[in-house]
Amino acid sequence: MRPFEYVRPTTVGEATDFLREHGDDALVVAGGTAAVVMMTLGVLRPDYVVDVGFIPELGPELDGSRSGGAGLRLGALTTVRSIERDPAIAGAYGLLADAASQVANVRVRNRATVGGSVCYGEPQTDLPPALIAMGASATIAASTGVRTVPLAGFFEGPYETVLQAGELLTEITVPLPEPGTFGCHAKFTVGSPENKPVANASVLVRTDEAGRCVEARIVMGAVGPVPVVAEAAAALLAGEVPDAKLIAEVAARAADATDPQDDLRGPVWYKRRIAAVLVERALSCALRKAGNGTR
Amino acid sequence: MCAAQSRKRDPIVGTSMPTLEAADKVTGATLYVGDLVVPGMAHAKVLRSPLPHARVVSIDAAEARALPGVVCVLTRDEVAAAGIEPVYGFVYRDAPLVALDKVRYQGDIVAVVVADDLATAEAALELIEVDYDELEPVMDVDAALADGAPLVHDTFSPIAPELRPVEGTNVCHRASIAWGDVEAGFREADRIYEDTFSAPPVQHCALDLHACVAAIEDGAITVWTNCQSPFPLQRELQRIFKMDARVIVPYVGGGFGSKSRDRLECVVTAAAQLAGRPVRLVLTQEETFLTFIRPAYRGTIKTGVKDDGTIVARHVRFTVDVGAYAISGARSANNTLKVATGPYRIPNALVECDAVYTNKPPSAPYRGLPTTQHTMAYETQLDRIARDLGIDPVELRMRNLVVDGDVHITGDLLRSTHAKECLEAAAAGIDWGKPSERPDKPAKLRGKGVSCTIKYTLTPPTRLSENGAEIELREDGLFEVRIGTVNIGQGSDTTMAQIAADGLGVGLDRIRVVHSDTALVPVDSSTTASRSTYHMGNAVLDAAAKLTADVLAVASQLLERDAASLALGPDGVEADDGESISYEELVRRSGGPLTALGECVVGGTYTAPDGTEYPIASTFWSFASAAAEVEVDTDTGEVRVLRMGAASNVGKAVNPDSVRTQLEGGVGMELGPTLFEQLVWDEGGQLLTAALMDYPLPTMETSPLYRPEIIEHPLEGGPFGAKGMGEIGSVITPAAVLNAVYDATGVMFHEVPLLPHKVLAALEGRK
Ligand SMILES: Cc1cc2nc3c(=O)[nH]c(=O)nc-3n(C[C@H](O)[C@H](O)[C@H](O)COP(=O)(O)OP(=O)(O)OC[C@H]3O[C@@H](n4cnc5c(N)ncnc54)[C@H](O)[C@@H]3O)c2cc1C
Repeated sequence: MRPFEYVRPTTVGEATDFLREHGDDALVVAGGTAAVVMMTLGVLRPDYVVDVGFIPELGPELDGSRSGGAGLRLGALTTVRSIERDPAIAGAYGLLADAASQVANVRVRNRATVGGSVCYGEPQTDLPPALIAMGASATIAASTGVRTVPLAGFFEGPYETVLQAGELLTEITVPLPEPGTFGCHAKFTVGSPENKPVANASVLVRTDEAGRCVEARIVMGAVGPVPVVAEAAAALLAGEVPDAKLIAEVAARAADATDPQDDLRGPVWYKRRIAAVLVERALSCALRKAGNGTR
Repeated sequence: MCAAQSRKRDPIVGTSMPTLEAADKVTGATLYVGDLVVPGMAHAKVLRSPLPHARVVSIDAAEARALPGVVCVLTRDEVAAAGIEPVYGFVYRDAPLVALDKVRYQGDIVAVVVADDLATAEAALELIEVDYDELEPVMDVDAALADGAPLVHDTFSPIAPELRPVEGTNVCHRASIAWGDVEAGFREADRIYEDTFSAPPVQHCALDLHACVAAIEDGAITVWTNCQSPFPLQRELQRIFKMDARVIVPYVGGGFGSKSRDRLECVVTAAAQLAGRPVRLVLTQEETFLTFIRPAYRGTIKTGVKDDGTIVARHVRFTVDVGAYAISGARSANNTLKVATGPYRIPNALVECDAVYTNKPPSAPYRGLPTTQHTMAYETQLDRIARDLGIDPVELRMRNLVVDGDVHITGDLLRSTHAKECLEAAAAGIDWGKPSERPDKPAKLRGKGVSCTIKYTLTPPTRLSENGAEIELREDGLFEVRIGTVNIGQGSDTTMAQIAADGLGVGLDRIRVVHSDTALVPVDSSTTASRSTYHMGNAVLDAAAKLTADVLAVASQLLERDAASLALGPDGVEADDGESISYEELVRRSGGPLTALGECVVGGTYTAPDGTEYPIASTFWSFASAAAEVEVDTDTGEVRVLRMGAASNVGKAVNPDSVRTQLEGGVGMELGPTLFEQLVWDEGGQLLTAALMDYPLPTMETSPLYRPEIIEHPLEGGPFGAKGMGEIGSVITPAAVLNAVYDATGVMFHEVPLLPHKVLAALEGRK
């Protein structure tokens, strides 16, 4: 690994000031589960490593108190493991917990942060589809000020996001879902769950008393340069009480929206097939939860 | 305690115990080569070729040399100036220390930078300018065998006498063996089947990365390495540098064949010579992919059977892609000729192989060598035959498996066989004959499959001793067992201590083991090919017998008793009448430690009890079976292995726990290449699976329920009847899994790994 200077700011202001100076030559590191791997492989060769892990402002805020109960604020340093396990998330935000529980293994989940998994911009990560399905936004700080970007518009390509040199993601906010909203995440990897998945899918549904779908969101990962939002497929569910045939139709339509690449994890046709299987699984799971009223 | 009683103490051989080093390993106290620090040591980094095949026009390392902290840069110019031999290799002398005229694979070593610290060495790599003249690469065997294919090497340089290159081609070894009359056999057959199987290269992925420290002091070389063959390496160092050399191999964290032959040591020694100080090189995981790999394999197998399933003829043709250097790979192909037809009575057989140079990294043995792929080929074909003939797969095997007294296609008389018992035990491990439980989802299918194999060990063409072992009764009354066997995680120190303890008749607490240091232990050929328990075990036993005689002779004088009335006891030599002398006192009074050298002579011919002489193509033959139960998800194509039975006739299990874990480890490791591991290059010869991120490995998540079974039928000539078994778990695995998938889905796969997309495509008849 190339030598670098290690910097450990303790406030967001200190961090963004440093990044304003050195943004182009600096790498922000949170949990380090992605960043350090990229450094050891020589893919990233920063002059400065800015360890943001000691900035209290970036810590988790799971109970939603700061946002007046109207949603969830996840400080950038909130670990994937705590998203998986925190009771405040398990309920209304169950989709997030489900996605988090499927990240790699306990060792990685204990270190990996929500900020890192979003800023990494890797198409295969699990949390972005779930966060997009839930309508989350990112709060981004720079020395010049703060801006908020909906996660649906955050990703620009593989490993590319709207983040500019000098910017720091400080928190993710997730609006409180309407009552009756349920979601599931599904993924498929070859071999162990640590491996990069062929595809993943997050599905969120809201049903009325009669079991009719009022609203649905389908977002898939690893099957395009950025998370793929399948609006047309989701629209097929509107007003319907989905049966197996409709679920299969929705899954097939969702797969049509994907734009996968032929790579070591499989050819294009296969990734589309897996995307459909995963949408079917996640949708069935979400509807089952909705049916039982349990998240 | 009287001597007669101590002689009847419970045997230690056959008792399960944790390895002697277990506590040190789990507490992290064990030092591996990468942990070693030698005073004054500098650090090396390797500049590797970005191209798979090119002429090296020029190398400019001036800027790198000028970087503060850089000690030196080793290129072909420095090698030439040093007057050392520029090329090394074990069975083929074809690998340059650093690239000479050409580079032959992406990752080939072009230069070595030595610096005060690693970061400087790394930085200096980027300052070296190399001008290449690109050549067309041959990336697989087909390309290498094509008419007018570019030649990877212009000349051949085999060392091992059995190697037969084909001039003007990329074939570095072509060989065959014949038995009976294969054409006549096929004429006799009622049905003939032909199938072609292939397997891509994989890497061993040992936790302990290749590492080496070299130091030259007072005109002698010392090398610390995790190489599995310290003595051949010592000879190679002495040949290249014309200096005495000492090779020290500490504990090794796994090799599986990837370290079977030296690959870095001569290079690092040349760097140390140039640097004028000790040098350490530790490869990264990514670099191990460029160091030694399992070769790509393709085999076509044609089998003639009678309607009752009796095999009457078998013809196997296979190619092994040895990569850019045949240092090791050429002979691996040759050795497996003798097992390519399987553990069956085959009256007429022909086996042919080509070992072929390509522009891939050099190949090395991988836990069982192509025996694994041969087994995959003949065992999957056998299940196809079984289905065609309407015979149960286990039954079909039972009709054809060899038994004691059969003669193998090499002419060897088979002993300690019991292949049928292995098959029965493995099959029982997955409740063969009972249908699988119904999966929880309709889209899932379950099935069962079995496999059988025969494996050889490295065997010399003539009678000779390949290794010794020394035991010394020290002044402190302990018995020091000196062995060349590399403790590579298989528990060899413990096995040898057990054998020594029982050979001497003393407790394990009296035994100390010193391993794999060429200055301290007698010569040993290598820790490879499942050979140590048999070969080193025999040498230890021989040394124990000789030392016992020496000790008793001394004691007989000191105690003034007839040697026949004496025996080694727990703390000293004891006489029938209760007289005794402690070991410490015996050494003191005899004037110094007592030492005996034992050896293990192998090769030549075997004379059966009836006086008939048979050739020995393998010192012992190993037999084993596996049985797998799998679940196939027809939505995704995913194959999960639920249960694996595995059984091997090991002759005698010296440490049964170690034997079982070797079986499990072999099975678990080989599930990777069976299900998802593969090295992939693009058309331009660039490795795509360059890091573990893109190279899945087996984990607990992919592990089945293991059902290892030990079968013990002592082998005449083995220490306590033991024979080797370190590789066999690997060898039997893919075939059993492929057969189980065939049972579940009706589709027979002719290649591994069983990647889900390939499985799904085949299930749906997709091209
Ligand atoms: C073995 C292994 C398995 C994995 N498996 C999975 C998996 O199953 N699913 C999955 O989703 N991911 C997986 N990952 C990928 C990844 O590690 C995770 O997505 C993780 O969440 C990244 O978080 P981190 O805190 O470790 O990020 P880091 O490694 O610290 O950073 C990742 C990137 O984000 C940037 N960054 C981090 N925080 C901020 C911030 N606050 N502001 C601006 N930029 C920031 C960094 O500069 C860097 O570019 C795996 C990684 C490994 C090593």
